[in-house]
Amino acid sequence: MNTEIPAQQEIASAREALTDEARPAAVERQLKRAEMTARQRIARLCDPDSFREIGGLVRDDDGTREARPADGVVIGTAMIGDRPAVVLAQDFTVHGGSSGKLGSAKIRRAIQQAMRDGTPLVMLLDGGGHRIQDGQDSRHFAQGSPTFHDFARLSGWVPVVSVMMGAGFAGPTNYAGMSDLVIMVRGQSCMGLAGPALVKAGTGEEIDIQALGGAGAQVDTHGLAHLGVDTEGQALDAVRSYLGLLPSNARAPLPCGDPAPADDLRQAGLADLVPADTRKAYDVRKVITRLVDPDSQFEIQPTYAKNAVTCLARLGGRPVGIIANQPMQLGGMLTSPACEKIAHFVAVCDAFGVPLVYLIDVPGFSIGSSAEKSLLGRRSARMVYELGQATVPRISIVLRKGYGLGYIAMCGGRSFDADASLAWPTSEICAMSLEGAANVAYRRDIERAPDPDERRREIVAEMRAHVSPLRGAEGLGVDDIIAPESTRRRLIELLQRAPARRENNMPPKYRSISPI
Amino acid sequence: MDVKSEIAGKVWKIVTAVGDTVGEEDEILILESMKMEIPVGAPGAGRISEILVEEAESVQEGQVVARIEA
Repeated sequence: MNTEIPAQQEIASAREALTDEARPAAVERQLKRAEMTARQRIARLCDPDSFREIGGLVRDDDGTREARPADGVVIGTAMIGDRPAVVLAQDFTVHGGSSGKLGSAKIRRAIQQAMRDGTPLVMLLDGGGHRIQDGQDSRHFAQGSPTFHDFARLSGWVPVVSVMMGAGFAGPTNYAGMSDLVIMVRGQSCMGLAGPALVKAGTGEEIDIQALGGAGAQVDTHGLAHLGVDTEGQALDAVRSYLGLLPSNARAPLPCGDPAPADDLRQAGLADLVPADTRKAYDVRKVITRLVDPDSQFEIQPTYAKNAVTCLARLGGRPVGIIANQPMQLGGMLTSPACEKIAHFVAVCDAFGVPLVYLIDVPGFSIGSSAEKSLLGRRSARMVYELGQATVPRISIVLRKGYGLGYIAMCGGRSFDADASLAWPTSEICAMSLEGAANVAYRRDIERAPDPDERRREIVAEMRAHVSPLRGAEGLGVDDIIAPESTRRRLIELLQRAPARRENNMPPKYRSISPI
Repeated sequence: MDVKSEIAGKVWKIVTAVGDTVGEEDEILILESMKMEIPVGAPGAGRISEILVEEAESVQEGQVVARIEA
C-alpha cells in the first residue's frame, strides 16, 4: 500500500496538470484571442459530464508533460444530444495548436474511434499544421501520414464536422476539406492552405488575414466553409442542431422527432407566396418555412450561391433534405456555385439516408462566358451525377418554372425515378421559356412579320396551348397536380410510405467517377 | 458602398431615387434578365448617393449600378 500512494499521487497530479485551473497563464493568453479554451469548448459542445478523455496523459520521451499538456490535442468520447460522438479539440496554447508526433497519433486515434464506434466526429480546430520542430526530420516525415486515408474511409460512414475556432491555415483546413460540414466564427477564425506570412514569403502577395481566409472570403464568397456564425457558442450550438438531424452513421435509423401535425394554419396562405406571373420573383425560403415542421430548418450555405437553397428540416418529425431554386437571386438559375452546393448537399443526404425534396422553379442553367469560365459544363454534371448515385427517397414538386436541363437536374418528372413527381397549378414545364423559344425557333418568322412584337405574341400564345400543368400530367410526366395547401400533407404521407433505401441497381463496377 | 449587379441584363425599372434612405436588401432597381424581373438590393442600410444607370440600359455582371452612403 505504501508503494501505491506515491504512484496515485503522481497520476493525480499529471491529470490535474491538464486542467484549465492548473494553467492560468495559458488560459489568460487564450481568452485574449478567443472566447473559450479547448476544454471549455468541449464542455459547451457535449452533454454535461459526458466527455471521457483519451490520451490526456501522453508525454514525449524528451519533453515534460507541463510543457505540452495532452500534446496540444484533446480527444475523447462524449454524448451530444444523448447520442455518442467522438470529439477532438486543438489547444492553441500548446505550440500554437500544431500537431506533434503524439498529437498526430491522437488525431488518428479519434478518427479510428469514430470509425469503429460508428459515431460522428466533431473537430474543434484552432492551430497550425505539422509541428515544424517534429517535421523537419526525414526519418519521421518520410512516413507520410495515414490520416487522409483514414478520413477518406470515414467519409459517408459517420457525419464529420469541423469548426474553425481561430487559427486554421494549413493542417486544420486540410482536415476541414475532408469534413461534411465546416463552420467558421466571423472575425475570429480563418482558414486556407497557407496563412499571410507563408503566402508573402512564397509568392510576395501581401494580404490581410481575414481577407485571405476569414469567413467573408471562405464562407460567403468561395463556399469552402458552409456556415459563418458570430460567436463560438453559436458555432457549437449549430453542431448540435446539425447532428440532431442526422443518424449516427450510414446504417443507423434517422433520428425522427415527434410528428408535427400534417395540416396547420400556415398552409392556407402558401399559394399567395408564389406569384403565378413567372416574371415575378419571390422568396422560396418562406415557402420552405411553411412546408416543414416549425423551427426545424437548418440551412446549409445560406450566404453562398443564394440562387439555390439547401436545408435540412423535418417533415412530420422525419429529417429531410430540401433543395430549392431561389427566384429572388439571379432568377433562381443554376450557376456553378449553386451546382456545387447542391451536389455536396445531395451527397451528404444520400450518405446518411435523408430523403430529398426538390422544389423546382428554375429558368435553366447560367449561360455566357462567365458560366463557361466557371466550368459549368462539369459542375452541372456533378449535380446530376450525385443525384444519379443516390439511393434515398426523392420527391420533386414543380412550383412554377421547370425549364430545360434545369428541370431534369432538379429531379423533375421521371428523370431520376422519383418516388413522386408533383406539380402545383402554377407550374410551367417545357424545354425553355416561351418567349425564348419564340425568339430562337421563329426568329425569321418574327423578323419578317409587319409587326414583329405582335407576331411574337401570337407564336407565344400558340405555344402556350401546349404548355400547361394539365399537359404536364397528361403524359404521366408528373404524377399529379396538387394544391399548395395540401403539399405538406402529401409530402408527409409519401415519406412515410417510401422505403428508406432502394437498390442502387448499378452494373457490376467498382466505383463511379465524379465529373469533377 | 457599391451596389453591384450580380447578373448581366437590362435595367427594367429604377424604383428608388438619389437621396432615398434604404435598409439592407431593399430593392434599388429591377433588372430584366433570363426573362425575369431580378431585384438588385442594397448591400447595407444607408442613403442612395448615386444611381449610375438608366432604364433600358444594359449592365454587365459585377457592374456598379448605384452607390450608398452608410
